[in-house]
Amino acid sequence: MTWISKAITLFGAVLLGHACYSAQEHSALQSFKAATATLTSSSLAVASLPVDIAIETVIAIIVILFGLVLGTRPLRPIQWRVWAGKIEREGEEGFMDNDGEVNKDFVGNPFKFLETRPGFVDIRKQRKEFASWVKTSSAQ
Amino acid sequence: MAPSLLHPPSQLSPAAALELSQQAPALLQSSPSTVSSSPLGAIFSASESPELWIKYENLLLSCLRTGDDLAAQQCLERLAARFGEDNERIMAFRGLVKEADAQHPGKLEAVLKDYEEILKENDTNIPITKRRVALLRSMGRVSEAVSALVQLLDFSPTDAEGWSELADLYLSQGMYPQAIYALEEVVILAPNAWNIHARLGEMQYMAATASGAGGSSYQKHMAESLKRFSRSIELCDDYLRGYYGLKLVTARLLKESGKPAKQNDEGGLRLPDTSTIERLNELATAKLSEIVRHSTAGDRGWRGYDEVEVAAARELLSEDASAASRIER
Amino acid sequence: MAQVPVQTIHRDPQLFYWILLPITAVMILTGVLRHYATVLMASAPKKLDQKTTREQRALLRGINVRGNFHTLAKPSFDVRRDALTTAYESGAYLKSPENRGQAPPNPLSDPSSMEGMMGMMKNQMAMIIPNTLIMSWINAFFSGYVIMKLPFPLTIKFKSMLQAGVATKDMDPRWMSSISWYFLCIFGLQSVFNFLLGSDNAASQMAQQMGGMAPNAGQMFGPGVDPDKQFLAEAENLAVIEHYSVLDGVEQRLLEGIKV
Repeated sequence: MTWISKAITLFGAVLLGHACYSAQEHSALQSFKAATATLTSSSLAVASLPVDIAIETVIAIIVILFGLVLGTRPLRPIQWRVWAGKIEREGEEGFMDNDGEVNKDFVGNPFKFLETRPGFVDIRKQRKEFASWVKTSSAQ
Repeated sequence: MAPSLLHPPSQLSPAAALELSQQAPALLQSSPSTVSSSPLGAIFSASESPELWIKYENLLLSCLRTGDDLAAQQCLERLAARFGEDNERIMAFRGLVKEADAQHPGKLEAVLKDYEEILKENDTNIPITKRRVALLRSMGRVSEAVSALVQLLDFSPTDAEGWSELADLYLSQGMYPQAIYALEEVVILAPNAWNIHARLGEMQYMAATASGAGGSSYQKHMAESLKRFSRSIELCDDYLRGYYGLKLVTARLLKESGKPAKQNDEGGLRLPDTSTIERLNELATAKLSEIVRHSTAGDRGWRGYDEVEVAAARELLSEDASAASRIER
Repeated sequence: MAQVPVQTIHRDPQLFYWILLPITAVMILTGVLRHYATVLMASAPKKLDQKTTREQRALLRGINVRGNFHTLAKPSFDVRRDALTTAYESGAYLKSPENRGQAPPNPLSDPSSMEGMMGMMKNQMAMIIPNTLIMSWINAFFSGYVIMKLPFPLTIKFKSMLQAGVATKDMDPRWMSSISWYFLCIFGLQSVFNFLLGSDNAASQMAQQMGGMAPNAGQMFGPGVDPDKQFLAEAENLAVIEHYSVLDGVEQRLLEGIKV
């Protein structure tokens, strides 16, 4: 869905740019008019910004916001069980950020260490297991 | 997906550990070899991040496991250069490297003696105490390990990891009530840890099967097991382990439901009535088959489960199905 | 509506380069220096011996049991409650059971607590001395004139703050003197330090002031607190708990809450 959001954001940006340009042109025209008015010594006409430019600006901002919101990833769950279920069900996949990388502070189940207990690791047993794994996998 | 070096590697498969330790040369080369520990030096030297040190620690563990002692030594030296030799964690890692190096029991005794020396100087060194317990256990001296661990937990009863290890030690000795007590302490310290709730359910189930059907403690254990599994599912949607246990417990209870169960009324937990158990069993079966179906198909959003666990669930389901068809025939 | 006449004061543009920038630079550098000075002066946290650890963690365990009792079934909770209350009431976890019932030692005469106070003193000194120096430096060199005009209007109340050292009654409060710029720097450089030194830097004085206001968690075991009293209070807290368990009716909740 990203291209839709990108297209909408781009459209909004173009709209905003157009509004800015219109405002700039309008003020240039006004100052030119004012200059000529002082030359011809007629009444000074101070016109405010036309309402269509203001409306265009507001619409442009809303459109840009809409596009950006559309492009964000779904929000993270805030309920414990939903969040925990997401960790269990989706694993790392559920915690990608926009660049497709796993979020840096994703640790899987944060209580996993209570079962793996890294402080009590039996390194000799692990070495033996690894050596036998190497043997069996190289034998195949 | 490649395992990340930011997570402790102790539960990884040998293949994953190998993959991690093969990253060692690259990481050791790409990061600066010394980071000064003095704050004055820190102004001028390369910036450091906590992640780097976590990476070093995990790399050290995987390298030790795969027998790449050279890289492990290098990691250890860098950690020691940053945090100093008298850092408690560094001391524990040094001991770990020595343990891994030890070829014959005499060397292990020497390492054990080292630990005791360190503890004589500073008896609040928790990492070394834990190493000592692990070494004693690894050498088969379980009762000594238990007493050392109990002593640790006496002066530091808020150490969840220690309680969990104690539960495991007691379980390996078949002392179920003690193991359950220790694990309940873990639950107190981490009340929302769904895996600990499931583990407690498993232990209660084991205790129930060990005590044999019919006894009053059997009922109690089964009831608590059922409730613990339910709680773990309540804490974590679609928790495979919880549903597996729930199915196991309810199936067993339903099989025995013919016998009149005498409930103890001592204020303990009571088993729910048979219809509730049946509904729980149905729920667990449905959920398990859903999980197995999605996970086998590799559906998006269902790939986080452990393959071994899914296979076990599939087996349980097929057993159940064959039993059901036998009854129908 | 009468327009207030706009005051214009012609200032030397060199003021900007020779006063505004130097004060800012000095403030930033002092902040960085203070951070490193504090890091250097900080003494390592004192090692607790086993008995003290035991005393503190035993109390923590009681608090944990009280907080999370609902995860236990009633029998297991009762066992813990009985064990903990008897141990607390008999003083089994106390560091020095023989001192029970005596008044706690005066924190001023206790050398261990003196050390903590010295640490606080050091921090205070590291804050006060540079500030005094810089302020007297600014007062000596740059006082008596305004250096800049704020780009926003202010009420008259700010006059005493912004024009400290300039005794002109009718001047617009938007004009500020160098000492005012110094005060603005003290309060405004917070985020600069956060950016330069990381968020837990010692240069941010606001954090120190806040820390002084709210007693931190370490206060619980601080000097002058009688652990025996804490244990007795905790025993009472445990005794009055009316037990319920999350395990009660969990299967009903599950059946209602989860639909296949």
